[in-house]
Amino acid sequence: MMSRVPLAVILVGLVAGACGVTASPSPTGASGRPSGSPSSPPASEAPTGGGGGTLVVAISADPGHLNPAITTSGATHTAAELIFNGLVGLDENLEPVPELAESWTIDNDGAQYTFKLRDGVTWHDGTPFTSADVKFTFEEVLLKLHARTRSSVGPVLDGIDTPDAQTVVFRFKQPYAPLLRQLDVTEAPILPKHIYQGSDPAKNPANAAPVGTGPFAFESYTPDSEIRLKRNDTYWAPALPKLDEVVMRVIPESGSQVIALEAGEVDWIWGVPGPDEARLDADPEVELLRTDRNPGGSNCIMTMSFNFDKPILQDVRVRQAIAHAIDRQQIVDKILFGQGRVATAPISSGIGWAHADDIVLPAFDPTAAMAMLDQAGWKAGADGMRIAAGVTGVADGTPLALDFLHFPTFARYGELLRSELGAVGIELTLEPLEPPVFAETVFTKRDFDTNVISYCNGPDPEIGVRRMFDSAQIGPVPFSNAAGYRDSAVDALFTQAQQTVGNEARGKIYGRIQQTVAAAQPYVWLVETSGVRAYRLPCQGFQPYAQFAEAATCAP
Amino acid sequence: MNGRYLLRRVVQVPPTVLGILVIAFLLVHLAPGDPILALAGANGDEAYYAEMRAKFGLDRPLPEQLAIFVVNLIRFDLGTSYVQGRPAIDVILERLPSTMLLTVSALAVASVVGVALGLFAAGRANRRSDLTVSILTLGLHATPSFWLAQAAVLVLGLWAGWFPISGMTSARTPPAGLGLVVDVAHHLILPVLVLAATEMAVIARLTRVRLLEELSRDYVRTARAKGVSERRVLWRHALPCALIPVVTVIGGRVGHLVAGAVLVEAVFGWPGIGRLLLTSVQSRDLPIVLGILLVIASTVIVANIVTDLIYVRLDPRIRFG
Repeated sequence: MMSRVPLAVILVGLVAGACGVTASPSPTGASGRPSGSPSSPPASEAPTGGGGGTLVVAISADPGHLNPAITTSGATHTAAELIFNGLVGLDENLEPVPELAESWTIDNDGAQYTFKLRDGVTWHDGTPFTSADVKFTFEEVLLKLHARTRSSVGPVLDGIDTPDAQTVVFRFKQPYAPLLRQLDVTEAPILPKHIYQGSDPAKNPANAAPVGTGPFAFESYTPDSEIRLKRNDTYWAPALPKLDEVVMRVIPESGSQVIALEAGEVDWIWGVPGPDEARLDADPEVELLRTDRNPGGSNCIMTMSFNFDKPILQDVRVRQAIAHAIDRQQIVDKILFGQGRVATAPISSGIGWAHADDIVLPAFDPTAAMAMLDQAGWKAGADGMRIAAGVTGVADGTPLALDFLHFPTFARYGELLRSELGAVGIELTLEPLEPPVFAETVFTKRDFDTNVISYCNGPDPEIGVRRMFDSAQIGPVPFSNAAGYRDSAVDALFTQAQQTVGNEARGKIYGRIQQTVAAAQPYVWLVETSGVRAYRLPCQGFQPYAQFAEAATCAP
Repeated sequence: MNGRYLLRRVVQVPPTVLGILVIAFLLVHLAPGDPILALAGANGDEAYYAEMRAKFGLDRPLPEQLAIFVVNLIRFDLGTSYVQGRPAIDVILERLPSTMLLTVSALAVASVVGVALGLFAAGRANRRSDLTVSILTLGLHATPSFWLAQAAVLVLGLWAGWFPISGMTSARTPPAGLGLVVDVAHHLILPVLVLAATEMAVIARLTRVRLLEELSRDYVRTARAKGVSERRVLWRHALPCALIPVVTVIGGRVGHLVAGAVLVEAVFGWPGIGRLLLTSVQSRDLPIVLGILLVIASTVIVANIVTDLIYVRLDPRIRFG
């Protein structure tokens, strides 16, 4: 739409959430939150915060409704997470910290989790928060309507018990390790039972005027225009929040968001387009905040998939040759404008304990790529383009021509890859498809050779990595195993990792998985993308994600 | 005669709208892109998708879905928005006023300024001021509105600081009463100027050409020969005749305005149905898409009828029978 769209939209694309795990964790340490101390004072005795003024936030899409428990939509989560809480939050290392639960114990080798709830927490309407709210939210809402929590926790959960008003017990059929990273406000926001009981949660009027326990209470919602939140004066964290009011303004176009920030109409934007970053960095009134979290998902890796159903791509040498032909640093420099780094393993470096640091992914080496193609029976013709000569399952004389499906917002990846693969004799045909059509073509019809997807790993490999390799997840669910990769040993290792408690032991299993899949090369892991937030002084004190404004203030 | 004509035209409206909507229904349902995939996003299991499909009736055969759609439509029920879980008609009606404010203001500005510029230029045909108007309007006509919108935001909004850049009201200090009217008017100026610019240029150029054509006709020469003043020749004789095709064009531009509103609403963060249409197409929220098509189709049809009626006022020779 704008002159700079192809660049600006990359970020928006990352944020769009269609392809990502919406995993923006909760606030932590820096906010000075009580960490599970049993003596945290009830909210009424807490020192008063406030006086922080009004924060105006630009959001890129109208949320439609403000109930984050019934959807994984990035637009709803971005706009509504300040109103709610999860049982736990996630710190900057994606480790769980107390939120509505002030402590927990894990029993039966990880098959039972017992949460002690925080005392004195009330809903925004004054009703006390109890274990019944947690049980109700899971059983009647999250496990039915939150697509991710339903498909991950649902099949393994045996039941939820509430022995008393302050205690919740999750019983699993087998040990289940990832649970604590699936209880934050993104994966499992807690709703008030007294408001949702006996209604269809998808149609409850409270979805447009929500009641939560979060740092900010709902004030008004003008569709496609603005959402106004006011300070929760009885918030359970002492002296928080500081802001008196948060206003979310819907500004769809990222270029317009930057201008609105420069003009002082808004104080915070979630993403700075690469080409605008230097200008904002030089503005003395604007501060930048770099992060691997995006409202649409965290720890995202731009990934090229190979369709294993296609005979041409069944030869690992062809897949490796393509990986060698791609200069991934060029993507960081020319497409991301430095907002990211070259991926070094199949699992993101953002999940430190699971990321393998002893893997060597194919480096940019066109000569090696051409040698591998020669070996695989793809000989260079007169014009340099490759033609089959003795390739199994492919008629001699077939040109090495592949299609490349991508969101329109990722067009620059296609352009760069087409020229780099062209240099080693592979013809790439670009097919831009808007997200719903892309999802249908790739995952339901499986009608493609190659594509590019932003796979967001989320806070735990069980959430966003397993789906890429699990042989049970080859379509029709979108953004699952695009390659159609099948390896029963890898499937078994993922199950083992799911049932192993403890980062170190789990990390070893994920290390073996990464060795295997890196050698098989069902994907080319291109770049880890990061995001850049920008805010106007005197506003300060932000977290880059989820309850980003909990400890912020705009008072000079 | 005109009364019966009007009645006939009005009676034709419902079947026309229904026909348009049935075609639109088939188009949006046969187009690739599954609404459930768009709605559920990255995760979920097959059972979840099946449940959602059943919930919205998308699991039934297309003819059955069409039949349900038509029956509901006759009862003025557009169905429930997949994304928002509310009646689609409520969602659309909520946004309609802001789009009407934008497009009606733009149409008024474009018509008045366009005709005035055309008159001005025709009265000074082939002089320097005529040339200036011609170049200006040609430039505006050729400028894509999204570029013009960005330029207006940068120059008049950011640099000069005269106008707010985004939205319909101020975020920091929400005004009330008369202050709200002034605030909305202030936010309205830039989007209206941008939306009106192309239409204004088209109307100005057409008015000028038509006026010059009329001014060279025999009846004008006769009038002048009779000693009728030049002003009267222009205003009373040439202008009404010249305006007939201009009115046709203005009526026909209503559709363009709504299309233009999609872009302008996106750039200026204006909360209207243009933006709602865009996001609903992206998320395949079909009840909303069809509802907005209903609004647009009805608007264009009504605009055409009104145009025909204005003909009669302008030219006593025209009679519909």
